[in-house]
Amino acid sequence: MNVKELTKVYDGKTVVDQVSFQIPKGKVISLIGPNGAGKSTVMGIISRLVARDGGDVEFEGKDITKWKSRELSKRLAILTQTNNIQMKLTVRELVTFGRFPYSGGRNTPEDEAVISKAIEYMELQEFEEQFIDELSGGQRQRAMIAMVIAQDTEYVLLDEPTNNLDIYHATNMMKIVRRLCDELGKTVILVLHEINYAAFYSDYICAFVDGKIAHFGTVKEVMTKEVLSEIYKVDFQIMNINGRPLSIYY
Amino acid sequence: MKTAAYRSNVKKLTVMAVLVLAAAAAYMLVEINFSNSRLLKYALSLRAPKLIVMLITAFSIGGASIVFQSVINNTIVTPCLLGMNSLYTLIHTAVVFVAGSGSIIAVNANLSFAVDVVIMGVVATVIYSYLFKKTNHNVLYVLLIGTVLTSFFSSIQTTLTRVMDPNEYDTLLTSLVASFSNINSEIIVFSLVLLAAIIFALRRELALLDVLTLGKEQAINLGVNYDKCIRKLLLGVTLCIAVATAMVGPISFLGLIIANLSRQLLKTYRHSLLILGSAFFGMIVLVGGQLIVEHVYSYAVPVSVFITVGGGVYFLYLLMTEKKV
Repeated sequence: MNVKELTKVYDGKTVVDQVSFQIPKGKVISLIGPNGAGKSTVMGIISRLVARDGGDVEFEGKDITKWKSRELSKRLAILTQTNNIQMKLTVRELVTFGRFPYSGGRNTPEDEAVISKAIEYMELQEFEEQFIDELSGGQRQRAMIAMVIAQDTEYVLLDEPTNNLDIYHATNMMKIVRRLCDELGKTVILVLHEINYAAFYSDYICAFVDGKIAHFGTVKEVMTKEVLSEIYKVDFQIMNINGRPLSIYY
Repeated sequence: MKTAAYRSNVKKLTVMAVLVLAAAAAYMLVEINFSNSRLLKYALSLRAPKLIVMLITAFSIGGASIVFQSVINNTIVTPCLLGMNSLYTLIHTAVVFVAGSGSIIAVNANLSFAVDVVIMGVVATVIYSYLFKKTNHNVLYVLLIGTVLTSFFSSIQTTLTRVMDPNEYDTLLTSLVASFSNINSEIIVFSLVLLAAIIFALRRELALLDVLTLGKEQAINLGVNYDKCIRKLLLGVTLCIAVATAMVGPISFLGLIIANLSRQLLKTYRHSLLILGSAFFGMIVLVGGQLIVEHVYSYAVPVSVFITVGGGVYFLYLLMTEKKV
C-alpha cells in the first residue's frame, strides 16, 4: 500500500497535510502521535471510511476509490472503536458477518468452517451462542477480531484497539495483534495511544504531529529520546527491556 | 446456520400466520347469514375488499417500519416522522378548501387516490432522495426535515380549516380518519402493483439490511455501498408508507407498535423474519381491531382511535424501558 500526499481539510482546518508513506507488507505498523495529529483520519482514509480532499492511496496497484467495495473488503478489514451494535446478535452470528463479502449472506460449508476456525483462534467457543451485549469489553473486542479473521483479509486496520480495555485485556489484545502478523501473515496497521505497546509489539512506528508525519521508521529508529520529546513535547527516558526500547515519560 | 433460536422463531411466525388466518376467517364469517345465498354473497363482497386492504396495509406499514428503524439505527422512531400523515391531511384539506367537498377530486375515489400518490411520491422523492444526498447522507437531517415538514404541513392545514365553511369541515373530517371501507378494486390492484414494483426495485438493498444494522463503518468494511443503499431504502420506505396512507388514510403510527412487537417477540437481527413478524402483527391488530369495531362498537369508534391510544401507551412503555435511547 502506497500513500501519496494525502490531504484532509475539516472546516478550513487542515488535519492531514501532504502525508506520504509506504506500508511494508507482513509487518505490524503503529500510528502514534498526540491527540488531533490526524492519525485516525489517515486510518479512515486508507480504509475508505473517510473521504479525502487530496492525494492518492494506491492499494495493490489501484487507487482505493477505484476498487469495487466488495472486492476491497476481501483484502482489507477495518475495526473502529465505535461498535455500538444495537441488534441482538450472538458471537457466532457476529463472526458470520465476516464472511459477507464472500457469501453475500448465503454461507457455504467452507464459510462455516472458516467461521468456526476464527472462533477457535480467538478462544471464544464457550461464548459462541451468547449475545454480544452480555459479554465483557475484552470478550466483545475478541469477538470483533474473530469477525475480522473470518473476513480473511491480508490487511487489518485497527483504530485504537486497546481503548477502554484494562491492562490485562489491552496486553492480550496486543499479543493477538502480534499473532495476526506472525502466525496468519497479515499486515496490521493500528492507531495507538500507548507508545510502549507500539514499541513492544510493532515492527514500524509512524509518528504524526499536526497532520504531518514527524517520523516513520523501525521501532528502534523512532523510539529515541530526541524523537519522542519532539513529538510529544515532554521529557522522555528510553530503557531497554528484553532487547526492546521502552519509554518513560513524566 | 439453522440455530435453535432460528427454529424457534420460525415456530413463532407459524403460530402468528395461523392467528392471521383465524382473524381473517373470523372477519369474513362472523354474524354472516349462511342460509340465504344472495345475502351471503353480498356480505362477502363487502368484506373481502376490506380484508384485502387491511392485509396490504399491514404488510407495507409493517415492513416499511422495520426497514426505516434499521436505516435510522433506532428502534423507537416511528415512520410518522417522515411526514406522510400530515401531508395526506393537508392534501385532502386543500382539495376541499379549494374545490369544495362536492368536487370531482374529493368525490371520485380513484382520482383522489391518484392525486395523493402523485403528490406524496414527488415530495418523498425530492426530500428523501435529493435532499438526503445534499446533506451528505446524514440520517439525522432526514429526521429533522421530516419533523419540521410535519409541523409545516399541519400548520397550513390548521389555517385552512379555520377559515373553512363548517359544513365542508364536517365532510372533510370523515376522510381524515383512517378507514378501510369504500376502497374499490382498481385502487387495490394499483397499490399492489406499486408495492411490488418498490420491493422489486429494492431487492438487492433489502438483502443488505442485516449488514446495515452493524453500523455504517462495519457495513462499509464488509463491502456495502452504504450511502447509496441507505438512500434507496429510505426512498422506498417513504413510498411504501405513501401508498398505504393514500389508500386508507393516516395510519403510519401503527408501524411503531407492530415493528417493536416483532422485535420483542423474535429477538433477532434477521430482517426477513422481523419484517414478516411485523406484517403479521399488523394484520392481527388491524383485522382483529376492525372486527371489534364493526361488531362490538357497531362502527361508533374507528379502528385508528384504538391504534393511537394503544400505540401511545405502548410508546411510553418503550421509552421507559429502553435502557439507552
